[in-house]
Amino acid sequence: MSANKTKLIKPSKVRFSKKEVKRQWPLLAWSLVFFAYGILFNYIPLVGWVMAFQNYKPKTGLLHSKWIGMEKFKFLFADANFLLDIRNTLAMGILNLATTFIMAILFAILLNELKSKGGKRVVQTISYLPHFLSWIIVTGILHDALSASGIVNEILGNLGVTPINFFAEPKYFWGIVAFANVWKETGWNAIIYLAAITSIDPNLYEAAKIDGAGRWGQIRHITLPSLRPTIMILLLMNIGWVLNAGFEVQYILGNGLVKRVSETIDIYTLTWGISQNDYSLGTAAGIFRSAVSIALILISNYVARRTGEDKLF
Amino acid sequence: MSEFKNETELEQASSGDMRRAPSASAGRNEYLPVPKPTKYKKSVGDRVFTVCNIVFMVLFVVITVYPILNTLALSFNDGIDAVRGGIHIIPRKFSLNNYRSVFAMKNLTTGLFISVARTVLGTLIGLFVNAILAFIVSRKRFLLKKSLTAFWVVTMYVNGGMIPTLLLYKTLHLTSTFWVYVIPGLISAFNMLVMRTFMEGIPDSLEEAAQMDGASYSTVFLKIVSPLCKPMYATIALFIAVGQWNSWFDTMLYNRLSAQYTTLQYELMKLLSSVSSQSSKSDPNSGEGANLQPISVRSAATIVTMAPIVCLYPFLQKYFVAGLTIGGVKE
Amino acid sequence: MRIKAKRLGACALAGTMMLTMLAGCGGSSNDDSSSNTGDSSSTSTSTSTATEAGSTASGDVKEFDMFIAMPGTEINDDNEIQQIIADKTGVKVKETWLTGQTDAEAVGTIIAGGDYPDFINGGDAMMQLYDNDVLVPWDDYLDKYPNLKAFYTDEEWDKFRMDDGHIYWMNVFGNTLGESKTTTHNDEAFWIQAKVLEWDNYPKIETLDEYFDLLERYYAEHPTMEDGTEIIPYTILCEDWRYFCLENAPEFLGGYPNDGSVIVDKENMKIVDYNTTDTAKMYFKKLNEEYNKGIVDPEFGTQTYDEYISKLSTGRVLGMCDQNWDFNFTITDVFKQSGLDQEGCSYIPLGLVAEKGMENRWHTYDDTLNMSSGVAITKDCDDIEAAFQFLDDLCSQEIRDLRFWGVEGVDYEVDENGLFYRTEEQRAKWSDPEYQASHECAYSYMPQYHGTSTDGKNANKPEEQTSEFFDTLPQPVIDVFNAYGATTYPELIGSVVEENGPWFPMYSYSNNMTTDTPGGVAWVKMGETKHEWLPKVVMASDFESTWSDYMDAYEACNPQDFLDEMQEELDRRAGN
Repeated sequence: MSANKTKLIKPSKVRFSKKEVKRQWPLLAWSLVFFAYGILFNYIPLVGWVMAFQNYKPKTGLLHSKWIGMEKFKFLFADANFLLDIRNTLAMGILNLATTFIMAILFAILLNELKSKGGKRVVQTISYLPHFLSWIIVTGILHDALSASGIVNEILGNLGVTPINFFAEPKYFWGIVAFANVWKETGWNAIIYLAAITSIDPNLYEAAKIDGAGRWGQIRHITLPSLRPTIMILLLMNIGWVLNAGFEVQYILGNGLVKRVSETIDIYTLTWGISQNDYSLGTAAGIFRSAVSIALILISNYVARRTGEDKLF
Repeated sequence: MSEFKNETELEQASSGDMRRAPSASAGRNEYLPVPKPTKYKKSVGDRVFTVCNIVFMVLFVVITVYPILNTLALSFNDGIDAVRGGIHIIPRKFSLNNYRSVFAMKNLTTGLFISVARTVLGTLIGLFVNAILAFIVSRKRFLLKKSLTAFWVVTMYVNGGMIPTLLLYKTLHLTSTFWVYVIPGLISAFNMLVMRTFMEGIPDSLEEAAQMDGASYSTVFLKIVSPLCKPMYATIALFIAVGQWNSWFDTMLYNRLSAQYTTLQYELMKLLSSVSSQSSKSDPNSGEGANLQPISVRSAATIVTMAPIVCLYPFLQKYFVAGLTIGGVKE
Repeated sequence: MRIKAKRLGACALAGTMMLTMLAGCGGSSNDDSSSNTGDSSSTSTSTSTATEAGSTASGDVKEFDMFIAMPGTEINDDNEIQQIIADKTGVKVKETWLTGQTDAEAVGTIIAGGDYPDFINGGDAMMQLYDNDVLVPWDDYLDKYPNLKAFYTDEEWDKFRMDDGHIYWMNVFGNTLGESKTTTHNDEAFWIQAKVLEWDNYPKIETLDEYFDLLERYYAEHPTMEDGTEIIPYTILCEDWRYFCLENAPEFLGGYPNDGSVIVDKENMKIVDYNTTDTAKMYFKKLNEEYNKGIVDPEFGTQTYDEYISKLSTGRVLGMCDQNWDFNFTITDVFKQSGLDQEGCSYIPLGLVAEKGMENRWHTYDDTLNMSSGVAITKDCDDIEAAFQFLDDLCSQEIRDLRFWGVEGVDYEVDENGLFYRTEEQRAKWSDPEYQASHECAYSYMPQYHGTSTDGKNANKPEEQTSEFFDTLPQPVIDVFNAYGATTYPELIGSVVEENGPWFPMYSYSNNMTTDTPGGVAWVKMGETKHEWLPKVVMASDFESTWSDYMDAYEACNPQDFLDEMQEELDRRAGN
C-alpha cells in the first residue's frame, strides 16, 4: 500500500510559517470551530469531577458541598471488593475484546468469500439483527439455553455428560459473557470491515490469481493487509475502553454464587454510589476509569508509533 | 493501493479533467471494456474452503437468527400464556394483543415524528460535521493535526457525568427543546478516527495534483475525497442513525416534562417499564404487587423498533457487501 | 446521486410531516374544560368525618403533575374517569412513572435538574427530597382539610415528623376505614399447592419438618405431572432484591412480625439480629438437608425472576416461601387461563413456626404505617392550597369509589341490598390494559382506604368485597377453606391478632439508611455477604464448615454498627 511506502520516508516537518498558515487557513478556521465545540460540550462538564472530592449533595451543589479530598478514593481502594471488581472488569474486557475482534474480522472476510450475491445479502442482513435486541432479551434466551432443561444440557446429556449448571460455576462466567457479546455484536462489528473490503480494488485479486494464489493466499496478501489500518485503529480505541466491560450483561446474568467473578466496576458503582445517593463515589470511580483508559491508550499509541503501525495520534 | 491504480488516477487528474471524479470502484478506466473475470480451474483447496465457508455461514445464521425468530414468536403470543415459558420459534397461543398495546400507546405519532426528525437531522448534520473533521485531521500538512486529534481522542475516555452534563445543558437552555437531541452529540471521536483512517488511505498524489491545479480544500473534500469514501460515509451514517433512533435516555433526562418532544423509544421504554420485572420494588402495602402486563409486549416493542432499520438497510447494503458494486460503477 | 436524492426526499418528507403535525395536533396539552359545575354531595351517615367533596369554583380545570418513583402505566390524556374526577374536583393530575432508572437515580436527576413536579412520591429515595429542601411542610395546611387530616390520628401524623419537627409527606397505603374486610394475605408465607393438602386429607402443618415431610411424601408418589414434566417439590427465589424469599424467613419462623430487617424483642425492647439466631441456623440446616435429598430445586441459586414465575406457572412447583404480591397476581391469571387452578395448583399460605405450638405472626392485622415514603408536595407547585384540596377530595367516599370501583352501571352494579358486585364481563373489561388506560383512573399513589365504605356495607376495594372474593376462587381453594374452617386467607394462617407497637415496622427506617452512617455501610455489606453466602450454605455438602465460614464473612461486615443504629431508632420510636 502506498501508505506503507510513504511511511518509510519521514515526512519533512511542516513548520508554522506565515505562508503555511495562509495556505491552510480553511483547515485552521474549521479547527477553531471544532475546538470550541469540544471545549463547550466535552471538556466543560469535566468541571463536575470536583464532585469526587466533595461530599456532594444536590442542595449544596458544586460550589458549596463539603470538601473531603481523597476520602472517596481511599474508600474505593481499601475495599477488597472494588479491587476484585477491577480484576473482573479487566478480565472480561480483554476477553471480550479479543473474541469480538477475531470473530468480526473472520466473519467479514469469510462473508466476502461467499460467491453468491444473494447469499451474501441474506447472511449479512441476518447477522446484524441481534444488535438491536436488548440485553434483557438476549440474556433471557441465553439463560434458557444453558439451564438444566435447556438445549445445551440436552446435547450434553445425549453425549453422556451430566448436566452442568452453567451459572452456578464461577469458571464459566467470563466465557459466557464473551459468547453473549460475540453472539450479539459480531454482525454489527463486521460492518466496518465489510465497508473497508468493498473498497479493495478487485484487480488486485485478479492479479493475485494470475500469480497462482489460492483463496487463502489472496486473503493473506490482499484482504488482510488492506484491512490493517482499520483493524489497528479500532483495536487502539477499544483498548482504552477495556474497563467499560459492561453492566447489563453481568448484572442480569450474575448471581450470588458467581458474584466474585461477575461483579464489575459499574455494578459496584450502582450499589455503593447511585443507590446510596453518593454521587461523589460514582464520580471517583469514573475518574479512576478515565485515568486508566488514558494511560492505556498513551501506552498503546506509543507502541504503535514505535512499530510503525497506524496510530491514534 | 497498487501502483497501477495510482498511475491511472494520476493520468486522469493531471489531464486536468476534474469533472469526472473517480468512482467508488476506483482503478478501472470506465472507457475501457470491463475485462470478464477469467474462470480459473478450482483447486481442491478452493473447493474445501468453499464448503467449509458455507457450513460456517449456515451455522452462524442459524445461531444468530434464533433469537430474532424467538422474539418474533413471543411478540405474536398471548401474554399470559407467554409467562409459562417454553416458546421457541412458533407462537403457542397466537394473539395480536401485544402489537395492539404497542400501537395504542399514547403519544405514538408524536414520538414517531420526533424520532424520525432527530434521526434524519442528526444523521445528516452529524455525518457532514464528522466528515469535515476527519478530512482536516487526515491532511498530512495540517499544522494542528496532532493536537486536534489528541483533543478529540481524549474525549472518548473522559466523561463529566450525568449531573454536570445536565446542568450544562440547562444553562445553555437546551433542555426541554428538540435541539438537545441533535446539537450536543454531533461529534464523535470514534467516527472521526474511522473516517480519518479511510481518508488517509486515499493517495496523497490526488490531493497534490488537484492543488497544483489550484483546487481549494473544499473542492478536494467534496470532489475527490468524499466520493471515494462512500462506503465509510454509509457506515458512519448508519451508526449515527441507529444511535439517534434508539436513544431514549436523553429524552428522559432532558425532556421528561415536554411531551411534545417525546421520542418513540422513550414511549416504548415507558411501556416496558410498567411491565419490567427488573425494576425496583413496588410498595408492598399498595396491594398492587407485581401486576405485570404481559411480558411478550417487550418482544412486540422490540420488533416495532427494529422494523424501520431493517427497512432502511437494503438501501445502504450495497456499501457493505463487496461484489454488489462491481460491474455497476456508478448509480 | 440517487442516494443524495433519497436523503433529500427523506428531508422533504420530514418537513411536510412537521407542517401537518403542527397543523393537526398542536397544543393538545392544555385542555380547558369549562364544565365545572357541580357540587357533588356525599351524604355520610357512618363514623368517618367525611364531609362534602370540595365544590369546584367555576372555571378551568387545574392541572398538576406527579412523579412516582415506582413502575407504572400512564393513562391516556382523555381518560374518562379522570375527566369525571376533574369535573367534580376541578383538578387533574398527570402521573409519570419510573422508567429505566432506579428510584435513587431518578430522584437524584430531578433534584439536580431543578424542575420539580407538583406532587412527588420518591419511593425509597424520599429522604433525598427532604435533605434537599424540595418539599413543602404540611403542618399549617392540615387543619384546613378535615378529610385529609382524618386519614391518620394525631399520633400517626406525629410519626411523619422529620428532625425539624415538620411533616412532609403521608403514606397512602395500609389504612383501614371502619371494619377490616381483608380477605387476602398479601405478605410473606410458606406456600403449598392445594392439591398436596388435599392428597394428605388437609393435615395441620405447623413446622418446617412437617412441611417438608409432606412435600417429600407427595413427591415420592408423584414424581412427575400427568404430562411427564418433572415436579419440583420446593424452589427458592434469590435473585437480586427478591432474595428476601430466602433470607428473612427466620424472622417469621421465630414467631415475630414483619419488621423486615431485624427482630424486635418486645419484652426487653431490644433489637435482635435474625440472621444469627438458632432459628436461622436451624432453618438453613433444614434447607441444606432437603437440598441434599433432592427436594430443593438445584437451579434455585441461578434462576431469574422470569424463570421462577415460568416454573410456578406450569404448576410444577409444590411449594416455596415468598411474598404474595411477588407472584400470586400473575400466577392466578395464568392458572385461570390454562385451567390449572381447577386441578388444585393454586397456592395456599401456611404460617410455619420453629416449634410446634408457637404463635405465628406472619400476617399483619393492623395497618402498617410505613413512614419512609409517601406522597408529598414540592415547592414548585404554584397552587398549594388547591393541591391540598385535591388530596382532601381524594379521601372522600365518592371519589374513591370512582377510583377503585369505577362508574356505577358501567363497571359495577348494585344489588337490592345495596352491595356492589361485578358481572364476569365487567371483571374482564376492568383488567384489560387498554380499558385501564382509556377509562380507569385509580390515582394509585394517592390517599386511599381499605376496609369498609362509609355506607357501612361495601368494601372500599373490590378485591376485598366478599362476593367478589369468593366468586373468583377456584373450587380446590374453596375446599381448602372449608376443610380448615376458614373464610379468608388470614383466618387460614391463624396469626396472632394483635396490634403492633408504635415502632413497627422497623424496615421503614432501614429502607432509608444511606452509607453516610456506619450502620448504613454495614447494612449494605451485610446484604452483599448474604447474597453471596446463603445459596452456598444451602448447597453445601458440609453444612457446619460452610456455615461457620459464612458467619466469619458476616461478622467482617460489622453488623453491630447496623444493629446499634437500629436500636437507637427503636428507642426513639418507642420512647415517643
